[in-house]
Amino acid sequence: MADSTPATSTPTMEPDVASEATIPKPFPISHIAGRYLLFDVNVISYARRTHNITGVLIGTIPNLSQQNVFLGIPLELQPEEARVLVEQGHAFIVDDAEVHRKGMMAMSREQRLKLLREMDREGMELAKAESRKAEERSTKALKEKGLTRKEKKSDESNSSAAVEGSETSLFDSKGETPTAVSVSEKKLEPVPITPTTSYPPLTTPSANAASQLPDVPKSYPLFRYLHSKGYFTMPGLRFGCHYSVYPGDTLRFHSHYLATGLDFDEEFELQDVIGGGRLANRVKKAYLIGGEVTSENDKEAEGDEIAPVRTFSIEWAAM
Amino acid sequence: MGVQCNAGRPVQRSAHGGTQHQPLSSKVTALLPTTTTVSDRRQVAMAMVVEAQSAGAQTTEDVLKSDLKGSNTDRAPKKPRAKRPNFNELHAKPLPLDVYPLPAFIPHNPISIVRIAISLISHSIWRPKSHAIIHKAYFSPETQSVHVTDPESIRALWEHGFWGAGSLSRSDPRWLDQEKRRRGIDAAATSEEWTKGRRDERRQMKLERAKAQREAIEQQLREEGKLGAESKLEDLVGEESVTESPRGTLYPADAANPLGNVTGTEGSVVKEISKAIAEESPDFDIEIKNQEHLQLTFEETFFLIYVLGVLEVYQDDITLQPTDLLRLFCEHSEFTPTKRPIQGPIASDDPFLLNYVVFHHFRSLGWVVRPGIKFACDWLLYLRGPAFHHAEFAVMVIPSYSHAYWSETPELVEYSKGKANKDWWWFHRLNRVQSQAHKTLMLVYVEVPPSRHMNTGGKDEMLDIGAALKKYRVREFIWKRWSPNRNRD
Repeated sequence: MADSTPATSTPTMEPDVASEATIPKPFPISHIAGRYLLFDVNVISYARRTHNITGVLIGTIPNLSQQNVFLGIPLELQPEEARVLVEQGHAFIVDDAEVHRKGMMAMSREQRLKLLREMDREGMELAKAESRKAEERSTKALKEKGLTRKEKKSDESNSSAAVEGSETSLFDSKGETPTAVSVSEKKLEPVPITPTTSYPPLTTPSANAASQLPDVPKSYPLFRYLHSKGYFTMPGLRFGCHYSVYPGDTLRFHSHYLATGLDFDEEFELQDVIGGGRLANRVKKAYLIGGEVTSENDKEAEGDEIAPVRTFSIEWAAM
Repeated sequence: MGVQCNAGRPVQRSAHGGTQHQPLSSKVTALLPTTTTVSDRRQVAMAMVVEAQSAGAQTTEDVLKSDLKGSNTDRAPKKPRAKRPNFNELHAKPLPLDVYPLPAFIPHNPISIVRIAISLISHSIWRPKSHAIIHKAYFSPETQSVHVTDPESIRALWEHGFWGAGSLSRSDPRWLDQEKRRRGIDAAATSEEWTKGRRDERRQMKLERAKAQREAIEQQLREEGKLGAESKLEDLVGEESVTESPRGTLYPADAANPLGNVTGTEGSVVKEISKAIAEESPDFDIEIKNQEHLQLTFEETFFLIYVLGVLEVYQDDITLQPTDLLRLFCEHSEFTPTKRPIQGPIASDDPFLLNYVVFHHFRSLGWVVRPGIKFACDWLLYLRGPAFHHAEFAVMVIPSYSHAYWSETPELVEYSKGKANKDWWWFHRLNRVQSQAHKTLMLVYVEVPPSRHMNTGGKDEMLDIGAALKKYRVREFIWKRWSPNRNRD
């Protein structure tokens, strides 16, 4: 159900500026099992370059999933990041499972047959390649032991028959082994194929299929505010805060703030401020808290206008 | 490093090592001229070993090694340290009480039985006083604490069990000593000054390191021919031939004259002035008034009164009884701008009660329990006391509403969830702060008894404190990060 990158092609993380034109605007964000994912490297780099959205790479090797230091695509977006992109009209959410199911159901008979034939062909190719490989392996192993293949007998009988002819014909018949392949092809059955992507058979969903806005935690206003100021953010769980806030691209800068979003009237423990301030100070950052300014009058007066956000940074003073 | 040593030192060193090889090593050193380099000396020494044909070869090597080490460290004469007080003697009593243990019973020595009998009889006739003095303290609602102002009580409470904290000091109430020292009257150093000295040393070290770095860069540039033999790095920066200015790493940001106090020849103006002030003859006649008092937390106070009985708390010249105090402390346990007198019974999950239960639990087990606000936790547990060890554990008190009563009605469920549940961010923050401070994080769950209120009835009714406290249960839960790389044997 991957978006558009087939699993067979090797993903490269180098941004391809020329391919930016090919990125659909707004671009789709796959919503799979509660996660917001991006599968296309070009889209990932575009979102990072243009919209200050970094996300977290979560892709690993399926059979070596304990390798979790260097991760690749897909990129998981925080719900806040997805929400900001959708609210600003740069992206839309696609419920991938739903789109896949509906798309497959809606296929016409010809299309489906074509797809099945295509899969059969691919399966056959795979099976052929497999058998060829196995044969090569066995010949190699036999050769190492100084033995010859049984088929060689028939080969030799062929050649002995061909001795009567010219020498060149002998080498020609030896070079191609048509009998062996034709025999094995009869036995071969196509390998069953599970397609890794839904978007070569189906067409990429368009923006009007967009679903509802992503659900976000209550710290979202702070995120939106920081994003609007041009900051980059990363999840800050390891620093005990909601976001670690970078003044520019996270590869170039250290983060400046450890931000925690609160409701404006929310009560919080003084100990949390001490802990946050202490921790942030220790890692040369500042602890930042902020929330949406909400008052009863505002709610009544302006319906859906975005309320302002106020932030406070807390730093250790040397007394 | 061309280390040159005077010839006399190895003899002293060998005297430390042992006496039987002393002739050999002294012979070695006696032969040495006063200005030989290390490698020369080693050769001479080896030759001597061969000549002597003794089993002391290893020792000679050792002597030389220790000599090498010594010559490095001893070059800068160490500052004479002010003698620290003998903490073992000072804090011999773990609680502000006098105890009279019976003499030891030795089975094969009948006199020991006699001694025990004598002390038993004498104790029963002349009862020894365990409470030599009842300290006085004053309730202070503004600071949410209880103040002790009598200097003798302050010292006694601090020395015997590390109770409270000085209002003008970090913990040990030593503002007066510090003040005297600042004015040049007294010479003993307080812990704050130790810290300051250590910080100064560290700053000096950093400046020296920066200087060394700068010299290395200059050397490198000279070798590459980018810098003349006489010119300095600053010229190069000024000419903008060096694009990446190393200023940030090399210079203290606030110093107008970079690296000025590294050389020590030119002291800053502030230093000069402070020196001049210090040199002025101190006025011994002025009696400095001790403006510091000891602040006890509510939990400490309640333990001292209810469990030990060595303290009396006054409010408006009236002695407060433990039951009154419990109510008073619960009223002031949360910081609220307005006073909140508790009319009815006290809530069973009042923050004061929860904290006190944990305090009582660990104090009874022999830990020295002190407030942990500086590490964003509730309590810090010290083995013997802060003068002896760093705190071992950081305790976070979490109420636990696991009794069936708390899930009877939806309101109660909602209430207990709001009190007990914390988010992961809170926990990671706490854990990280503690691991940075090398403390073990201990989550202490206090089982809140199955009633919203203590069974006290009205305000005037007497409260059986012991029965109420017995209803609480404490669970300890140690949290440690286990990473395979750091926990390999």
